[in-house]
Amino acid sequence: MSDTAIIPHDVEPHPLTGMYNGKFGLWLFLASEVMLFGALFSSYVLLRTGAPEGTWPRGEEILNWKLAMLNTMFLITSSVTMVMAWAELKMNRLGKAKQMLAITFALAGAFMVVKYFEYSDKLHHYQVELVAPMMHDGHEVMRITGHNVVNKEGEDVTIEPDAHGGDANAKHAPITIERSNVKRVTTFGPAHSTFLAVYFTLTGLHGLHIVGGMVVIGYLIFAADRIWKWNHEKLINRVECTGLYWHFVDLVWIFLFPVLYLL
Amino acid sequence: MSGAHAAHSHAGHDHGHDHSHGHELPFWRKYIFSVDHKVIGVQYTITSLLFLLFGFALMWVMRFQLAYPGQPIPLIGKMLGASLVDSTGVLIGNGYNAFGAMHGTIMVFLGIVPLAVGGFGNYVLPLQIGAPDMAFPRLNMMSYWVYLPGGLIMLASFFTRDGAAQSGWTSYPPLSVVNIGGQTWWLIGMVFLITSSLLGSVNFIVTTVQLRVKGLSFFRLPFFVWAQLVTSFLLLLAFPPLEAAAVMQLMDRVAGTSFFMPGGLIITDVVQNQYSGGGSPVLWQHLFWFLAHPEVYVLILPGMGIIAEVIANNTRKPLWGYKALVYSAIFLGFMSFIVWAHHMFMTGMGTTLSTFFQFTTMVISVPSIIILTCFIISLWGASIRYTVPMLFALSFLPMFAIGGLTGLPLGLTASDIHLHDTYYVIGHFHYVVAPGTIFAMFAGIYYWFPKVTGRTMSSLLGKIHWFFSFIFINGVFMPMFFQGMAGILRRQYDQSYQLHGASAQGLSLMASWSAWCLGLAQIPFIINFFYSAFAGKKVGNNPWEATTLEWSAPSPPPHGNFATVPVAQCGPYEYSVPGRKTDFLPQNPALEA
Amino acid sequence: MMLLASDTRYGNWLPPQLSTHGDKIDHLIFVLHVFMAVLFFGWGVYFTYCLVKFRARTGHAATYEPVKGGASKLIEVAVIVFELIVLFALSMPVWADYKNKPPAASENPLTVHVHSKQFEWQFHYCGPDGQFGKTDPKLISTSNFIGLDENDPNSKDDLQFVNDCHLPTGRPIRMEIFARDVIHSLSIPTMRVKQDAIPGMRIPIWFTINKDATTANVSKGMVQEFPLARTTWYRIRHHVAAQDYKNKAGDIIVKAGDYLGNDLASGKEIIQKLRDAGNETVSLRPGNPLEIVCAQLCGNNHYTMKAQLKTLTADEFEAWQAEEIKKKNTELEVDF
Repeated sequence: MSDTAIIPHDVEPHPLTGMYNGKFGLWLFLASEVMLFGALFSSYVLLRTGAPEGTWPRGEEILNWKLAMLNTMFLITSSVTMVMAWAELKMNRLGKAKQMLAITFALAGAFMVVKYFEYSDKLHHYQVELVAPMMHDGHEVMRITGHNVVNKEGEDVTIEPDAHGGDANAKHAPITIERSNVKRVTTFGPAHSTFLAVYFTLTGLHGLHIVGGMVVIGYLIFAADRIWKWNHEKLINRVECTGLYWHFVDLVWIFLFPVLYLL
Repeated sequence: MSGAHAAHSHAGHDHGHDHSHGHELPFWRKYIFSVDHKVIGVQYTITSLLFLLFGFALMWVMRFQLAYPGQPIPLIGKMLGASLVDSTGVLIGNGYNAFGAMHGTIMVFLGIVPLAVGGFGNYVLPLQIGAPDMAFPRLNMMSYWVYLPGGLIMLASFFTRDGAAQSGWTSYPPLSVVNIGGQTWWLIGMVFLITSSLLGSVNFIVTTVQLRVKGLSFFRLPFFVWAQLVTSFLLLLAFPPLEAAAVMQLMDRVAGTSFFMPGGLIITDVVQNQYSGGGSPVLWQHLFWFLAHPEVYVLILPGMGIIAEVIANNTRKPLWGYKALVYSAIFLGFMSFIVWAHHMFMTGMGTTLSTFFQFTTMVISVPSIIILTCFIISLWGASIRYTVPMLFALSFLPMFAIGGLTGLPLGLTASDIHLHDTYYVIGHFHYVVAPGTIFAMFAGIYYWFPKVTGRTMSSLLGKIHWFFSFIFINGVFMPMFFQGMAGILRRQYDQSYQLHGASAQGLSLMASWSAWCLGLAQIPFIINFFYSAFAGKKVGNNPWEATTLEWSAPSPPPHGNFATVPVAQCGPYEYSVPGRKTDFLPQNPALEA
Repeated sequence: MMLLASDTRYGNWLPPQLSTHGDKIDHLIFVLHVFMAVLFFGWGVYFTYCLVKFRARTGHAATYEPVKGGASKLIEVAVIVFELIVLFALSMPVWADYKNKPPAASENPLTVHVHSKQFEWQFHYCGPDGQFGKTDPKLISTSNFIGLDENDPNSKDDLQFVNDCHLPTGRPIRMEIFARDVIHSLSIPTMRVKQDAIPGMRIPIWFTINKDATTANVSKGMVQEFPLARTTWYRIRHHVAAQDYKNKAGDIIVKAGDYLGNDLASGKEIIQKLRDAGNETVSLRPGNPLEIVCAQLCGNNHYTMKAQLKTLTADEFEAWQAEEIKKKNTELEVDF
C-alpha cells in the first residue's frame, strides 16, 4: 500500500462520471465481458441456424433443466445476499456484512457442486455411432447410448445400453458391437456434438467466472477486518465493485439457462 | 520545475527517489515488480523492442529462402532445429510457415502493440495529463507480468519437436486445428496477451477520464492522449471475441470439439470420424477479423498520436484542425468495428454482405485521409526544425499515404479478386505498419528519450539511422506491389515454383537484400540507444522547448512525477503565440521561464 | 498509360488476361492506380514545397493563425465522391456479375467439379450427359482419387484428373469448388478468377475464356529472349527452349521443347554450357503457360499445389473429351 503514489478519485467520485476509479474500471471491464459472452452467444446462433434439420437437439432432451432451475435460484439469491453485504457495510455493521458475504460464497459453492454433478454425469455417459443400422430393443438404430463402455483399439466395443425411451438410469445387460460397425465412440462431453461443445464452453467459462468471484469474495471475508480498520470507504467500495461483477455473472446465467436448457 | 532537484539517472532507467515516503524500496520492488508507470513503461519498451528484433530476424531467414530458394542458409543453417531445416541447412516448408506465422504474431502482438500502448502509453500518458501515476498501479504491473509469460509461452513452442505454430498469424481452421506444431501454445499465449491487453485498456480509460488535472478539459488534451484513449476502447471491446474464438479453437484442438470443423473431412484420404462435424470454418474468420480489423487501428493510432506531438513541437505552430483530428479519431474507432469482412470477400460472400462491407470500407478511408491532411496542412506557415524525431515524423506521412492508398484496390471486391492473398496485400499493410508505425515509434523514442533518461541521443547517429532505414525500407516493400500485380501469392515457400512467380523473381532478390541492409541500418540506433543512456549529453526538463505537461516534470521524473500538482492554463500546442518572448506557451504555467 | 495494362507475357506487372470479365477488373485496377498516383504526387508536390519554404531559419518565425482550409476541404469532398463513383460504377457491377449471373442453361456451360486437398487439385468432368456420377469417400484409391462410383450409370462418361485441367475457350465454364480437408483457394491469375475452397461448402464460380486464348496461341505469344549473363535458373525453370542449341562441337546442348535443367545445379550447368557455346541470349517460352494455383495457406507443401491448365477451342475440347472417355472405358473393360 505504501509503494504507490496518491491517486486522485481513488475513493471520492469524479464530477464528470460520478464514480470513483474502481467502479468506473469495473463497468468498463463488464463491457468487455459482454463482448466475450456475446461472441459465444453469437457463435451459438450461427452454428445452430447453420445446422441441418434434425441435427440440433433440444436442450431439454439432453440436459437436466430442473437442476439448472435450482442453480438459477442459488445464483439469484446470492446476488441478493451480495447487495445485502454492501448495505450492511454502509450501515456500519461489519459482522453482518461478513455473514452475508459468507452466504454468497456458500451459494456460489452450491452452484458449482450442482455443476460438478451435471458435468460428471455427462462425462460418464457414452454414445456409440454405428456405420450400419443394427437392431436394438425392437428398433433399427444408428446410435446406442449407455454406460460402462469398454473401447479398446482393435477390439469390439461393449456397452451397457440405456433403456430405450426415457429413463437414462435404467440399464440393460451389456451388449457387444463389432469394431467394423463402429463409426465413433464419444462421451456426452464437448466432443459429442456442436450443441454440447457450445454448452460446455459457455457454462465452463461461466463456471470459471463464478470461481473467480468466489476467490475474491473469499479474500474479502478473510481480509475484511484489516481493510475496515484501515479505511471504511475502501472496503465498502471493494464490496460494491465485487457485487457489480457478481450481478453480471448472475445475469449471464439468466441468459444461459433458457438458451441452453429450454430452447 | 526545471531541474531544481533533478533526480540521478542511472542505467537509462527511471527510478527516481521515493520522496513521499522516506524509505527506499528493495531492488526487486523498484525495478522488477514495480507499480510505477514509468518503470513499467520502460519494461514494456525494452521487452517489445527485443521481440521486434527477434521477429525481424525471423524474416531475414525467410527472405534468404525467398531470394535463393532451396539453398542452405549461410552461417546458421545447420544450427536450426529439425523442425526448421533439413540436414544440409535448407529451410523446409514447415520451418518457413512457422517463421511466417510467428513473424506476424510477434510483430503485431508482442512487438508493436506493447511498445505503442504498453511502452509509450504507460510512460507518457499520466505525465501528459498531470497525474502522479495510472489509476490502478498494481493492475498496471499485472498487465506487464501477464504479457511477458504470454510472449515466452509462444516462443517456447519453437523448441518443441514439431516447432512453432505454422498456420499463419490468422490461424484459419481446419488447418490450424489439425496441423502439427505449437498452435496450442499459440492459443494459450494469445489468452495471456489478450488478458494483459484488457487489464491495460481499463487502466488507460479510467486514468484519462478521471485523473486529468485542473484546467485540462478534453479539448485541451494532447492528440497523443486522444489516440491512446480511442485505442484503449478498441482493445477493450474488440479483443474479447478473439479470446472466445481462441478458447473455441483450443477446445477443437484439445477436446475434440467441432466448432470450426465441418462434417465429412477427409485428411490424407482418411475420413475424420472422430469429429462430430457441424462446425463452420468461416465462423473463426468472422470472430478473428472482428478483432483483427480494429487491431490494425490499434497499430496505427498511437503512432499518429506520437507524430502529432513531434510535428507540433518541430513546426513551432499549433496543429492544424485539432478538432477535426479528434473527431476523426473517434469516428475511425466506431467505424473500425463494422468493416471486418473486407478480409473475407473471397469466402463465397454474396452481393448484399459484400456491398455493406465495401461501403463501410470506403467510408473508413475518410477519417484516415482527414488525419493525414491535417498533419500535412500543419506544415504550412511553419518553422520546421529538422531534428531526428521530425525526420521520422515527416517521412511517416508519405509512407502512411502509400499504405493507405494501396488499401483502396483491396477494399473493392472486383479488384480484390486479382489482388487478394497476393504480395500486394503484404506491401499494403507493411507500408502502414513498418515505415508507418515503426517510424512513428522511432520518432517517439528519440523525442522522449531525454525525458526518460535525462540525456539526449546522438543526433548524428540518429540521422544516419533514419536515412538508411528510409531508403531500405522502401526497397523491401515497394517491389511487393509489383509482385502482387504479377500474381505472386502470400505464404509461398518457393515463389519460383509457380510460373508467374518465377517471372518476377528479381523483385524478391531486391526485397531480400534491402531487408538485410535494413537490419544493418538499425545498428547505429542500437549503439546510440544504449550508449546515450549511460553517457549521452545531460539535459534539463524541456530540451525540445515543448508545451505539453510532461515537459514540466524533471528529466527523469521522480516517483509521483511532479513536485507540485500542475494545472493546465491553455491548449496543448500554443506555439508562436504573438506578443511573447519565447515561441511557446507551456500548458503548465510553472514551466514558464 | 498502356504500361499499366497486362502484357502477353509474365513479368513484373499484370499477367496476361484471357477471360471475358477480366478486362473490367484490369480497368478498375488501372483507374484506381491513376487516382492514387494523382493524389500521391499532388500531395507530394505540396509536401516538398512546405519542407523547403517553411524550414526554420533566422528571420523566419511560424505563424500562429491557422491557414484557411478551403482547398483541402474541396479535395476531400472530391476524393469521397470519386470513391463512391468507383464503388458503384466500377466495382459493384463487376462483382454482381461475377457472383449473381451464372451462365444460363441455354448458353451450354461446361460444369466441372474441382476437389481441392492437400496438395493437389482434382477435376471431375461429367461428360456429354451433363450428369455427375456419385462419389463415395470409401472408394478413394490411387487410381480413383475422387472416389467415383463406377456402378452409377452416370459415371460412364465421367472423367477425373489430378493437377491437369482442360477447358474450352469461348464457352461459359462453371466450376463447383469443394475442399476435402482444409481451406484452399482456387486461383487462375490469367483468368482473373479467385475463390476460396472451404470444407463443408460447395461454392460455384463461372467465367468464359476468350475465344482465341488457346494454349497454343498463348504459348506462341510468350517466346522471349533471355540474356544469359543476367538470368538465374529460377527465372527460367518453367521454360522450354524455343529452338535447338548446339555447342561449338556441334552436339546438341538443349533440344527445342526441353526444359533447361530440373534443379538449380543442373540448370546452372546448362546455362554455362550455352554461354560457352557463344550464346549471349537464349530463346525460351513457358512449357505450360497457364496454371491453376492455391491461394490460401494449406500446409507445408502449399506452394506445390498447382495444376496445369490447357485451353482448347470448343471443338478441340469435345474431341479431347470423347477420346478420354473412350480410353477410360477401354481400360475399365480390360480390368473386368
